[in-house]
Amino acid sequence: MSHFLDRLTYFTHPREPFSGDHGVMTIEDRKWEDAYRNRWRHDKVVRSTHGVNCTGGCSWKIFVKNGLVSFEMQQTDYPRTRDDLPNHEPRGCQRGASFSWYLYSPHRIKHPMIRGRLLDLYRAERKTGKDPVEAWAAIQADPAKRLKYTSVRGLGGFVRTNWDEITEIVAAANVHTINKWGPDRIYGFSPIPAMSMISYAAGSRYLSLIGAACGSFYDWYCDLPAASPQTWGEQTDVPEAADWYNSTYLIITGANLPMTRTPDAHFAIETRYKGTKIVSMAPDYAEYVKFADLWMPVKQGTDSAAFLAMGHVALREFYIDKQTPYFQEYARKYTDLPMQVVLREHEGGYVTDRNLRASDLGGMNETNNPEWKTIVWDEMSNAFVVPNGSVGFRWGEEGKWNLLEKQSSQADMRAELTCQGKDGVEIVSVAFPHFTEDEPDLLSRNVPARRVKLADGGEVLVASVFDLQIAQYGIDRGLGGGNVASSYDQADVAYTPAWAEKVTGVKRADLIRTGREFADNAAKTKGKSMIIMGAAINHWYHNDLSYRSIMNLLHMCGCVGQSGGGWAHYVGQEKLRPQAGWAPIAFGLDWHRPPRHMNSTSYWYFHTDQWRYEAVKADDLLSPAGKNRNKGYSLADYNVAATRMGWLPSAPHFNRNPLELAAEAEKAGASDEAGAAKYIAEQLKSGALDVSFADPDNPVNWPRNLIVWRANLIGTSAKGHEYFLKHLLGAQNGVLHEGGDGNNCKEVKWHEKGPTAKLDLMVDINFRLNSTGAYSDIILPTATWYEKHDLNTTDMHPFIHPLSEAVSPGWESKSDWQIFKSIAKSFSKLAAKHLGTRKDLVALPMQHDSPFEMAQPLGQVKDWKRGDCEPIPGKTMPLIKLVERDFASTYNKFIGLGPLMVKLGNNIKGIDWNTEQEYKELASLNRTVTEPGVSQGMPSLEEDIAVCDSVMRMAPETNGEVAHKSWTALSKKTGIDHHHLYAGRHEDKITFRDIQAQPRKIITAPTWSGIESEHVSYTAGYTNIHEHIPFRTLTGRAHFYQDHEWFLDFGEGFCTFRPPVDMKAKEKVPASVMKKPHLTLSWITPHSKWGIHSTYQDNLRMLNLFRGGPYVWISEDDAKSVGIADNDWVEAINANGATMARAVVSQRVPRGMAMMYHAQEKNVNVPGSPSTGKRGGILNSVTRVIVKPTNMVGGYVQLAYGFNYYGTVGCQRDEVVVLHKVEDQNIDWLERPLTPEREAQLNPPGIGSK
Amino acid sequence: MDLHQIVFGVYPYLCLVTFALGSWIRFDHEQYTWKSDSSQLLSKNGMRLASNFFHIGVIAIFFGHFVGLLTPHGVFRALGVSDMAHQGIAIFAGAIFGTLALIGGVILWMRRMFNKRVRAASRWMDINILGWIMLTLVMGLSTLPFSIGHAEHGDATVMLRLAEWVQSVVTLQPNPELLRNVDTVYKMHMFLGMSVFLFFPFTRLVHIWSAPVGYLFRAYQIVRAKRPA
Repeated sequence: MSHFLDRLTYFTHPREPFSGDHGVMTIEDRKWEDAYRNRWRHDKVVRSTHGVNCTGGCSWKIFVKNGLVSFEMQQTDYPRTRDDLPNHEPRGCQRGASFSWYLYSPHRIKHPMIRGRLLDLYRAERKTGKDPVEAWAAIQADPAKRLKYTSVRGLGGFVRTNWDEITEIVAAANVHTINKWGPDRIYGFSPIPAMSMISYAAGSRYLSLIGAACGSFYDWYCDLPAASPQTWGEQTDVPEAADWYNSTYLIITGANLPMTRTPDAHFAIETRYKGTKIVSMAPDYAEYVKFADLWMPVKQGTDSAAFLAMGHVALREFYIDKQTPYFQEYARKYTDLPMQVVLREHEGGYVTDRNLRASDLGGMNETNNPEWKTIVWDEMSNAFVVPNGSVGFRWGEEGKWNLLEKQSSQADMRAELTCQGKDGVEIVSVAFPHFTEDEPDLLSRNVPARRVKLADGGEVLVASVFDLQIAQYGIDRGLGGGNVASSYDQADVAYTPAWAEKVTGVKRADLIRTGREFADNAAKTKGKSMIIMGAAINHWYHNDLSYRSIMNLLHMCGCVGQSGGGWAHYVGQEKLRPQAGWAPIAFGLDWHRPPRHMNSTSYWYFHTDQWRYEAVKADDLLSPAGKNRNKGYSLADYNVAATRMGWLPSAPHFNRNPLELAAEAEKAGASDEAGAAKYIAEQLKSGALDVSFADPDNPVNWPRNLIVWRANLIGTSAKGHEYFLKHLLGAQNGVLHEGGDGNNCKEVKWHEKGPTAKLDLMVDINFRLNSTGAYSDIILPTATWYEKHDLNTTDMHPFIHPLSEAVSPGWESKSDWQIFKSIAKSFSKLAAKHLGTRKDLVALPMQHDSPFEMAQPLGQVKDWKRGDCEPIPGKTMPLIKLVERDFASTYNKFIGLGPLMVKLGNNIKGIDWNTEQEYKELASLNRTVTEPGVSQGMPSLEEDIAVCDSVMRMAPETNGEVAHKSWTALSKKTGIDHHHLYAGRHEDKITFRDIQAQPRKIITAPTWSGIESEHVSYTAGYTNIHEHIPFRTLTGRAHFYQDHEWFLDFGEGFCTFRPPVDMKAKEKVPASVMKKPHLTLSWITPHSKWGIHSTYQDNLRMLNLFRGGPYVWISEDDAKSVGIADNDWVEAINANGATMARAVVSQRVPRGMAMMYHAQEKNVNVPGSPSTGKRGGILNSVTRVIVKPTNMVGGYVQLAYGFNYYGTVGCQRDEVVVLHKVEDQNIDWLERPLTPEREAQLNPPGIGSK
Repeated sequence: MDLHQIVFGVYPYLCLVTFALGSWIRFDHEQYTWKSDSSQLLSKNGMRLASNFFHIGVIAIFFGHFVGLLTPHGVFRALGVSDMAHQGIAIFAGAIFGTLALIGGVILWMRRMFNKRVRAASRWMDINILGWIMLTLVMGLSTLPFSIGHAEHGDATVMLRLAEWVQSVVTLQPNPELLRNVDTVYKMHMFLGMSVFLFFPFTRLVHIWSAPVGYLFRAYQIVRAKRPA
């Protein structure tokens, strides 16, 4: 009754002593315990997860009390794995456990907000009687008005408004942009659909319907391992975490399992109980090193040298000194090692050229695609034959696209690996490109080769990839000649362990032992040796070479496609399992095809004008062994050539509005798509029209509207952050040098004054105010991960599970689907008057997994602009497509599943199937649209759950019937019956309610190369090996060799070691800094323990756990040498800008390297930089992105464009910074009012806008 | 009724009632606020000396006042404590413990005012009550010269009158006239002291009620049974 009165009965309380008065039992008030009990009491529990691209994909219980989320806890109800395998749970980590903080945090965006100055301008225009589009146009037409709001981006000044007004402004901007500049001047950026598929689809659907371009992310994040498409024709496919447990030998490099794969790390630890050995490679004493049996501290950026040395050992001991039957068979059947390569004469010897084709030998009875069928030597018939499975069999014929050991005639064969010692074989000297400092740039080695007569009467020497590869690894096999080693200790011969010791700092004995054990284990277990790798080694400019060196080792040892073996590359949450069901909704393919997709790296490289500062010369990267017909090109020039040849996409496409181009073509007499295409080709050839990247700084080619959602583009992933601020946004920036190096481009027009503030409008949709929101013009409040219905899958486990609306979206927020629906509604209203129905001309690069991947034969580059050929759409230049857009119906289209799903069906990775049945089912499951308009009567996509169910109904992974249809289609192509793979689950249909009840395991689908089975864990390449489905490459096999002209120009036909690129950014550091004690350090940006990307980084709970603000790890010895103590403020600086952080001085870090954890951004405790005078920056303030020409190659099977599949990657790790101490009294928090002077001073002192 | 009568006839009851009722209500309704609010976590600088000096001084002074003022005159006599001895003890002990409390208190006050972290975490009332106690303490110490003067003249009447007044208050027969002619400094000290009781329930002082004395005597293990239904 009363705590006090209760105390008055103290003496009447029974007290029973026990244990000889050491204890006493009392009866007293225990009501106080209710306080603790109530803390965990709740009204309901809802299943959700976190859409944070952490790859966890963990199922969580969300506890709701009084309508508020009170806390979350790990779910532990996953379906069990099989008997001998640990389970996938409990999943979750400290970061996820603290997410509920965000819902009610000060970061939460509660209302639609807009830059106050912009709103004033807009309202003033509206008051004069202009409609929204006219008002927007009036603001954009007046440079002074525009400058008024663009110049204060990043400086606060937001005001609240309401949904009606704000969607009207966004829509007005979009309508105006489409009308004046073209729909391809609108860009959408959102990453990693797998983490919240419906939210991604919301924006991409709206943007695709209006013709805007959606930007890629996987390549931009530099998580895309370009080596994967190069080697396998596969974007990325990796084993689930459980498969680590099946491995018996693990090498882990560049993937910090306990830190970044927290819920899955246990599999790697547990497998050690079975006796599995773990070897770790990391320059620093990373957390995963602790779990390893051996640590090889490899110098950062030299990973490929270490793996090439291990490959040297494996080849020597398991292919030359003795032959392992399992390896031999694997190499013959599943790799390109037996494929024949033409040798080209070069300075008295030879260099490698392209793969030999059936067409070279007169067709070999192949009438379909003889130029696309590669050749092996058959040991059974002792002749060159055409084996099944090359890409030529994939298109235009059926039944022979498989990896059975058969010739095209279907006779058995046995591909020869080496011709050494055979009749008629010559030993010739072949020069291999080499890039190690102070060593020759061509290394000649002896190779056995056969002479072959060509159909055209000529004669060439050909050698197998295997024989070339043995030579290239520097292995002495008794053929004489130089540059080969018979001993591992020959440090002067490239790729020996002794040589690698010099380069990597790893002891040769460790390299020899690991290479030997890795191969030996694989030989004994049939491929159960695995390499787990990740972003730490993938973010380098030459990342594809590092990865190829690993893949080479794996293929030599027959590991890829075997459970417990192969590569395991983990970066972001890439695996969008129900992709085939999702893509039509996400990109509006149910209404229009094709959508506009753009590779973001090239996009930002040009549009943020990083190319203007390009200090890396492409010529310095070329090899003397190439034909090098593009000598003198800059990196940007290569990209321009790639877009005009139809290799890479471009946004905008051309220097004219695509709506107007379509109209012009029609006016010029083009009655159909082919006519329009011809018109564009003519215009391009005459020079009247050009690709936009040829003049990116011309206002007609600027991006105008940018919508960012589910992302933190500016705050974290903007490599070259300060260039974004300067050129794209026109904001206060810290770029510390003038552009000018880009002045010598041949294909890109130079403007003396670099443009600033290219964007008219930037919109950020988020639940949390981060650096991206801070620089936007409009911020829209979205639902958090506990406030919306959505879908989530990951690479790490085979389950699909939901995000659920545990509580309704807070304040004025809405789910992304509802937000874009409302924007679409406003857009439709304005479009009716201003746009109407228009034809839109879409330029599409040659797509991988389509017949257009065979557009440009023999790997020869034919540039129409150079006069090599005529511009022919879909052949030597982009495909030209016409799409009719009834802009006023955008909203109606958004809310209904469109008719093309019935008319054209669905497809993925080159196989098609009919979706009529699923369409019908969805109409009854989700009901139909009742609103009058084009979508009336079609399956409804109005509510989030309906969208989830539509995705799952149309995807083979979640609907057994669709799995059946898609496997049937693939079986026809391969000529092999694959139906047994999903047979037990033919009748399964997974719905949203199912996965809310419990995560469900997906169904085996041809989308992926692994299978879902009760006997093997999901692993990449499984169906390629066990079902003989070809890799989607030129030869149909895994490629050691790349025979495209540009690869040969850059000396990367074979995998070779290339050191990090000198970015030359140190040269421009101000003298005031260089005078002080300072360090020059590699700039390494790994993932953090107390954050995942920028989420959690600013979470109060996580901040409490470590330092509470930005920090940089440096080595103890380095710190001591310049007088830096732990927790001192330091500035990291180079030409690109500067960033401020506190020093973490630690023995963990080796000398010569600084680690600033990824995504430490500007919103918490970041002071001004003394060098730039601007807010102290983010991790990417000191980086600049560079593009790699070999990543631009297209129209050539695996080297053909696909969204997030291939293209330039946003590497930033080759950078170095100068780091120096900043005294506490010199820390300036910049907490001053904005003055006109400060507003005008956008650049650091003394820097112009060149 | 003049001001004197209000201050020494009515105000004591206002203070005592607020003290008792306020404590009760807070104990029953605001259990989470029933704590000492120690700031030792924020800064340990000088805490060991200051806190111990202050607490030892204040506790001694409290019990000195309690015994000295509430024990009936006859009891002292019966125990053989002469008035002069009583006065001597009061002056001597008061001076020592008062000084102890003053030293500790000043350091605590400096810390509360000028230590950034402690200041930031301080509520208005935390600063006020410490200041008030210090003021009371200074006033109390200021009575020493007067008391010493009295003692030198062998005159214990003021002390006895003060005690008599306190006893008149607690026996519900308030007699403010007893204090009509004592020196102002005593009155000031008494007013400040009574006010501490008035403020008590609204401050961290409530932790005094819960001084964990029992902890010294408890069994090693306590099992709290569920209350019978």
